[in-house]
Amino acid sequence: MTTLHILNASPMQTTQLNSCLRVLSAGDSVVLCGEAVQALRADSAAAEQLLSCDRAFQLYALEEDVHARAIAIDHMQVTLLDYPAFVALCVDCARVNSWT
Amino acid sequence: MAKSVLLISRHAPWAGASAAEALDIALAAGAFDLPLSILFMDDGVLQLLAQQQPQSLAQKDLSANLQALPMFGIERLYVAQHCLAQRGLAESSLALAVDCLDDQHIQQLIRQHDYVVTL
Repeated sequence: MTTLHILNASPMQTTQLNSCLRVLSAGDSVVLCGEAVQALRADSAAAEQLLSCDRAFQLYALEEDVHARAIAIDHMQVTLLDYPAFVALCVDCARVNSWT
Repeated sequence: MAKSVLLISRHAPWAGASAAEALDIALAAGAFDLPLSILFMDDGVLQLLAQQQPQSLAQKDLSANLQALPMFGIERLYVAQHCLAQRGLAESSLALAVDCLDDQHIQQLIRQHDYVVTL
């Protein structure tokens, strides 16, 4: 009964990431797309927050959004998704919470 | 059995249409007897403040819609405790009777619903 949280806004400009990390449950999944992938940038405050967060969740990001922004992800435990994989993930989760 | 919906309203009442649209969804769901709960979170908690004066911005007053929620059968209303605290607001200053939830109870609330709509 896990929830898929989809974040689409920069962690520097909105509270999406902060709020999501507070209310996600163990076993949930988080997909970063659009400007939200900025949270993966090495040594950024958001990346540090993701690394230090103790709750067990799966982290994903949309591959094309990561590559478009020249973000290196070697330091993060993140799975890159193409659109078919994104759709499959949405179907697999019990519910989808698309943050706006 | 109808599927349950958790509506998470995260935007201030005068910052765009999100707050008004979330309330429209809630009232429509209520009119069709759909089981719907609302969680006010982030700047969404500002919708609950008393004595706002939308007419000074030539905007529609949302407080009448908020007060109508229980009449439409929308009685499960919640607010995120940490969002009140971050904004220096007390539960007693809110214009609507809502249950104040900590993070753990919000996690449970999400898991208890079939669908989540965040606006």
